[in-house]
Amino acid sequence: MAAEAASGNVDKSVQVKLVLLGEAAVGKSSIVLRFVSNDFQANKEPTIGAAFLTQKCRLEDRVLRYEIWDTAGQERFHSLAPMYYRNAQAAVVVYDVTKAASLEKAKSWVKELQRQANPNIVIALAGNKVDLVTPSSSAAPPTPSPDGDDEPDDATATPGETPSAVAEVESLRQVPRDEAQAYATEAGLLFFETSAKTGEGVVEVFTEIAKKIPIEHILASTRGSGRNGGPPGRPGGQQSGVNLDANATQAKNACNC
Amino acid sequence: MATISTQLRNFKEPNKEELNRFFFSLPPEEVHANGADTDHANEKEKAFSGTEKMDINAVLSLGEQGLEDSYAGKLHLLPPYLSFASVDRKSVRFTIPLCTIRRVERLNTRTGVFALSLAVWHGMKIVIQLTALRPTADLFCTLLRDALKAQLQQGQMKAMKNFVRTCYSEALLSSPSATVAENDKVDPDANAGALAEGNNPVGEGDGFHGGLGLKFKFPGDPKKLREASKIKLWTTYLRSHGRNLSLLRYPQFTRLVQVGLPNRLRGEIWETLSGSMYLRFANPGLYRKLLEDNKNITSASIDDIEKDLHRSLPEYSAYQTEEGISTLRRVLTAYSFKNPELGYCQAMNILAAAILIYLSEEQAFWLLDVLCDRLLPGYYSPSMHGTLLDQRVFESLVHKCLPMIHEHFHTVDVQLSVASLPWFLSLYINSMPMIFAFRIVDCFFCMGPKVLFQVGLAILKINGEALLEVQDDGGFISLMRDYFASLGDSAHPHSTDPRTRAITRFQELLLVSFREFSVITDETIQAERRKFRTDVISSIEVFSKRAAVRSLKRHGRFNKDQLGLVYDALFKAICVIPAETQSIPPPNLLDPDKTTEQKQETRIGLRTFRVFLSEIATWGRNEKIVSNGFQERVDREVAEHEFIDRLYYFWDTSCLGTLSFQDLVDGLDGVMFNDLMDNIEWFFNLHDKDKDGSLTKDEVLVLSESLLFIFRYEVGDAYLGAVSRFMTNAFEYGDALLPQETNEDGSLKSPTVGNNQPYLNLATFRMVVLADEILESFFETDLSASFRLEPVVDVPLTPSSSGLLGGLLSNIVTDGNKRLFNRVTDEIGKTIGKHQVTHRPSIGRQMILQEPKARESLLTPSMRRSSSKSSLSITETSSPGATNIPSTPSSLTLRSQADISSSELSPLPHVKAATAALMERTPFAIDDAGDDDDDDDDFPEHEGEPDDQVMDEVDAFLEAHDSGLSEAEKKLAEDVAKAPPIK
Ligand SMILES: Nc1nc2c(ncn2[C@@H]2O[C@H](COP(=O)(O)OP(=O)(O)O)[C@@H](O)[C@H]2O)c(=O)[nH]1
Ligand SMILES: [Mg+2]
Repeated sequence: MAAEAASGNVDKSVQVKLVLLGEAAVGKSSIVLRFVSNDFQANKEPTIGAAFLTQKCRLEDRVLRYEIWDTAGQERFHSLAPMYYRNAQAAVVVYDVTKAASLEKAKSWVKELQRQANPNIVIALAGNKVDLVTPSSSAAPPTPSPDGDDEPDDATATPGETPSAVAEVESLRQVPRDEAQAYATEAGLLFFETSAKTGEGVVEVFTEIAKKIPIEHILASTRGSGRNGGPPGRPGGQQSGVNLDANATQAKNACNC
Repeated sequence: MATISTQLRNFKEPNKEELNRFFFSLPPEEVHANGADTDHANEKEKAFSGTEKMDINAVLSLGEQGLEDSYAGKLHLLPPYLSFASVDRKSVRFTIPLCTIRRVERLNTRTGVFALSLAVWHGMKIVIQLTALRPTADLFCTLLRDALKAQLQQGQMKAMKNFVRTCYSEALLSSPSATVAENDKVDPDANAGALAEGNNPVGEGDGFHGGLGLKFKFPGDPKKLREASKIKLWTTYLRSHGRNLSLLRYPQFTRLVQVGLPNRLRGEIWETLSGSMYLRFANPGLYRKLLEDNKNITSASIDDIEKDLHRSLPEYSAYQTEEGISTLRRVLTAYSFKNPELGYCQAMNILAAAILIYLSEEQAFWLLDVLCDRLLPGYYSPSMHGTLLDQRVFESLVHKCLPMIHEHFHTVDVQLSVASLPWFLSLYINSMPMIFAFRIVDCFFCMGPKVLFQVGLAILKINGEALLEVQDDGGFISLMRDYFASLGDSAHPHSTDPRTRAITRFQELLLVSFREFSVITDETIQAERRKFRTDVISSIEVFSKRAAVRSLKRHGRFNKDQLGLVYDALFKAICVIPAETQSIPPPNLLDPDKTTEQKQETRIGLRTFRVFLSEIATWGRNEKIVSNGFQERVDREVAEHEFIDRLYYFWDTSCLGTLSFQDLVDGLDGVMFNDLMDNIEWFFNLHDKDKDGSLTKDEVLVLSESLLFIFRYEVGDAYLGAVSRFMTNAFEYGDALLPQETNEDGSLKSPTVGNNQPYLNLATFRMVVLADEILESFFETDLSASFRLEPVVDVPLTPSSSGLLGGLLSNIVTDGNKRLFNRVTDEIGKTIGKHQVTHRPSIGRQMILQEPKARESLLTPSMRRSSSKSSLSITETSSPGATNIPSTPSSLTLRSQADISSSELSPLPHVKAATAALMERTPFAIDDAGDDDDDDDDFPEHEGEPDDQVMDEVDAFLEAHDSGLSEAEKKLAEDVAKAPPIK
């Protein structure tokens, strides 16, 4: 209460910057949409660079305000990604359980984050579209055909999304859960399988991240610097800094002198 | 996964002529081949006459009296175009294809005045007084005549007549009433073009081309946009100033553009302004042909396009229909076929979707082409270097023009680009409501790319106070989002003056952009880009290097730094000989997704590999040590030999005929860390083509030849001896070990094994090698050590301090000069008998004749001491790009440094003043800003003088124009315009 009064217009929620990364069309924007509006629809929002959304998330007695940066998936935008993951306290790296290659891409994002991003960043790995491989677990009727009717557009975007028989459903899976889980454990990541379509696992991603975020840390730095950004001092921030900004940072420093 | 692009290194600053062509919206020279004449075989002879360029000082008058002032300027003959620009480069200008000129007459004027009258297709008479010396004027006339004749011969006049019928302005002016009604069908069978197919897309085929808006309505309320008034004004303008191909731009033109183009003319004016119309004119049918020729082709770009089709202006009704979507699909895929290297980049979908509202597919295709190639250079390329560069430029302009905001952003660590990136990438279309964005696009085409920066600066300036409260990236984005959503609101809602109240925030934005940021000129942008280009390129290169190394699946026994060195060598090689065009791997039938996974891999061909190897392996290059009495230097060239080719195919484990970075790493890993036995086996396998574990006789011979190749420059005959002993032994052992074919006499007899039969196995080979001391030491250390990752540097062997010209060498910077210097000293050396060339050996163990010092390091396997002193000193001398890259950035940097010192130290003074003014800005004093009737006035009410009112809006920020003429000159120009032609 006291803190709230002191900080004036800033409410008591803790701001957490979160970035979504992953290959194009794995479902990043859909996951965000599910989390923010509890909705699923064909993606209509053109993303240039990154889309920016916010969502509050209650955790025990605390409210987290997620600032979500949903990046564009096309490979050539990769070099711009540092702009969005700089100072992020959390990242969700998404792959598509029906596409082995997307896990490889996810791994390389993880590598990059671990090397270039904020050293305390909490990373979650999310294997999305799990509804396509586990028909029984979803709330939807057992026949998978409605999927196809729901979003005729999707068929073009992700071929093989409309399984014709339940038997085929399991065979769509290209990334075994165990394998991804093992990788996540080894790399120190949170791990989830999600479906933006059914909502399965989506909220968990964000609440588990919230639990793992060193909130005291952030609060301390907020009070100190008047900024809701990274941890205090951001150890090694300048060096580990975003490659493409490296020069800009230098330039700025130069101007200061 | 890695793509390696060296394209950025090849960037050349445009020269004066290229800048000139850019200014006149003309295609770069090599492209403008006329569709018609490329078909003619004996075009070469013709090419001589009628293509010569020339420019000349001139005074331009429009024939019709009193219509326009006369303007002094420069007339450029740039066949097949004629261009003019007034002295101030903005008041008046035109670019017209020569084929629109119907007649040229010398005018009978006062003595000493040389004037031409040009009758132009649309009935205009342009009078041009050539204000140059007589012979110059005569020459110009001759060249003009030749050029016109050439056009006539090529049948361009006829093509032109057909072409202009595809332009809406023709329909507009030929209809009796000023405005063409919604469903006007003009001359349905004109424009035969390539539009014969049944399923004609919207807007084509009924005479003139037009966009989806014709069918699905144009965005915005036509009444509020005052379409009718605008069309009336334009009709008047076009009637007297030409149109489409022959359009002349007088000050009124710019004003008309600034108030917003009318929907139906918008596309055509964009075409003229951007010059895409000339491309469409010069390449009839090319768009259809591209689509036809690539009908069944799939590519990564097409996949990417497909993903974005439904998220491209989905709020516009056409894109909720299959018709609109397939139109968009065709334009984007056609462009990806035309420019496969660029392919498709997100944001192009927004652009294409937007322009398709106003343009037919074919028109949009060419406009997209000009946008990607010329107006937004490098924005959408795979490296997006143009985008990154302009973001940097924008940041620097903010620093200069809005230092407080820059300072604040720096303090709270907000990145400008998080908001400004989409502004530039999508020409604001993705950021603000469409009707406003299109007006910015109008200005962008009319006044050039600087508009994007001016508007960006104005946005920040207008929001200055709020921006100083922003604490993070998210806050910045939200603020901008709210601002854009409010552009239609009044800028001064609390003003008591209804006229002031009527000024929208969007009008305010344009005013601030063009009035307060008129200091930002094309030259500013050019200079800023020059300043940051090297920086941006090197950060992109560092980034892609890191990404390439990171995406390696196998590192072998290399550490990160060593992998980086392999990458550097590969990069250098690609600079010399470009990589294969990104070979699309054969589709994987079992798993179609796999193909997309590998789509972005750079793979090199054999020629590039040779260069790569010359960087890495001592025997991969021929090194001549030249001494001529003044200097001793190494001349280096790439070696070619079957052995190298063999290695290439040996390393191509996936049999794609090309090698990736990973292949090279794997390949090098397979040899650089080997011990004696490994190396013997490696060398054996390299020559065992069918991999059956034994060499044929032929292969033994080839293997010997390989050894000879590696040893080709070794001093003395020790190595030669070793190889010949090897051959003798190999055949002796080989024969001896043949299955008991020893007949009665037991020795010399024709072997029963054919030349292609298995003959020598690994064990025997090993035995033969180990029998020879030199070969043994070669396989033990020298082979592995002959691969060296440290960059090869061109340092003169003897420091050039001594000798006649010694001091000179240090002053010679560029490669060109160095080569010249070398040649000169060689010549002198030869004449004084001191010129001497020796080859530098690849192994150098048996060094007797050479000074041992230079060889020393060769003896030590490089891998064990990669960070030793010697490699350190090497990296020192090799500044990035200094060795093998032709264009030296050093001169560039120098020049830009000079620029900085003048401008960077303090923000431009007038800008500073403007900034100060901003912080306490009062409402703009525009009295008659147009839209005062938006609220409740009905359209008919301003029937009286609405056209003038439209113009009022813009008068406030119109730049003054200057005819560049004195009173006397004006009088003369008037007289000239009235003069009769010479008989
Ligand atoms: N079946 C299924 N489809 C999904 C799911 N998430 C996303 N999609 C579809 O996958 C496609 C790509 O999704 P999008 O969110 O745009 O991916 P992004 O490019 O990573 O942002 C769209 O067609 C979505 O409808 C999911 O959980 N299940
Ligand atoms: Mg997305």
